Amino acid sequence: MNQAYWARNPQGPFATLIALTAAYCHPEAYDGAYADLTARARSAAPDDEQIRVFKEELGEALADPSRLPDDELFKAVEFDDGSDEAFLRRLWRDLYGDEPA
Amino acid sequence: MAELRGAGDEPDDGDASVRRLAADAGDAAGEVRSRHEPSPRAEYADVLRQETAKPNAGQADMSPVDADQAGADQAETDQGPEASIADVLERFDPRRAGLPEVSREDAAAYIEEHMADRPWLALVRDCSPDAQRVFVALDQGGGHAHIRHDGWVTEEMNERRVKNLEDPAQLDLEKREAHLDGIKGGNQSHRCGVLATRITDPEAFATAVARAAEHPDVRAALDSTGPFSVPVRLPISDVLGEDGYKFCAGSQLEPVNGSMIEAVANRTAWVQGDRSVPEPRTRPVGTFEGGTLTFTFRPSAFDGHEFNTILVNPPDTQSI
Repeated sequence: MNQAYWARNPQGPFATLIALTAAYCHPEAYDGAYADLTARARSAAPDDEQIRVFKEELGEALADPSRLPDDELFKAVEFDDGSDEAFLRRLWRDLYGDEPA
Repeated sequence: MAELRGAGDEPDDGDASVRRLAADAGDAAGEVRSRHEPSPRAEYADVLRQETAKPNAGQADMSPVDADQAGADQAETDQGPEASIADVLERFDPRRAGLPEVSREDAAAYIEEHMADRPWLALVRDCSPDAQRVFVALDQGGGHAHIRHDGWVTEEMNERRVKNLEDPAQLDLEKREAHLDGIKGGNQSHRCGVLATRITDPEAFATAVARAAEHPDVRAALDSTGPFSVPVRLPISDVLGEDGYKFCAGSQLEPVNGSMIEAVANRTAWVQGDRSVPEPRTRPVGTFEGGTLTFTFRPSAFDGHEFNTILVNPPDTQSI
């Protein structure tokens, strides 16, 4: 079956990053989804393992976007930033401000 | 009716003050559609009857996930695959989909009361009471599947959405042409992926919702009390039957220099007035045969999650 990346590869590289950005950042996400992600990231509970992994993968993807699986981030988010890297930079800035990736 | 013809589907030379969808929008939608495309209305029921005549047709992998569903599934076993399709709308439980409970009687009354201002409801005025109940439950929830991705949207509206970011859900035509979102508050710019698609028949659309709500993966997403549920993708054939793809339509963006990433970025720049980029180009989706439906979710006002939207994907271009 033609499943989404995170369903095909639940333990695959950047699966958490791609799944969360699909749910919160896609153009068809619900009104307020991006704000919900921002709030969740900025005030992550100590036991929020998912957001911990998300931040870790976001940092790794920013350090070397070529490690992202082919086209999977764009397919999940359909961003209009022009490149994976531009989208990831915007996302990091919105979520974590000036904190070094 | 003239108002809807000015609703982005036809050239409009009328007074801007009246260029807003209003009263008999449902009749107007049918009139507009008749000039642009054949209506599949009422054909889905025929397809269902043909599908159910085939052994195992339309049988998705929808095993029960809890005791509440066990009785219905036993009935399904007792009555065969025909019952599994024919009864799916009847046994749809809005509360299990994170939506308010709606009776069939209340649904009919709600449609009559609100279809003037909510033209997507006019489409289901003549549908079965069970299909009406699905639409009204969705309309009282927070999602937009039945507003952007069902039969009241014409192909021209889909094309204008994916090309110009004109949101069919935006009923103020000046705001629609200004690319403002009709669902999100605060005059936010409308966004769209590489596809603008829909299920063309309201009975088929309601069936998609009801059947998906029984699928284990969708149930897990709806029942989740966590902060979010990831989108779930299912084959169209599993949800709507083997011929279900015939009730899907839409437009897709053309790549630029072989790149869809570049095409989407260029489209945003173009609608913002940047003429240094090529004008967006689109084409109708060729076929949905072998395609999928993507179900996305949002936190429900009740427990768990509800459907946020339903995206129809051709086999060669998957959204989410």
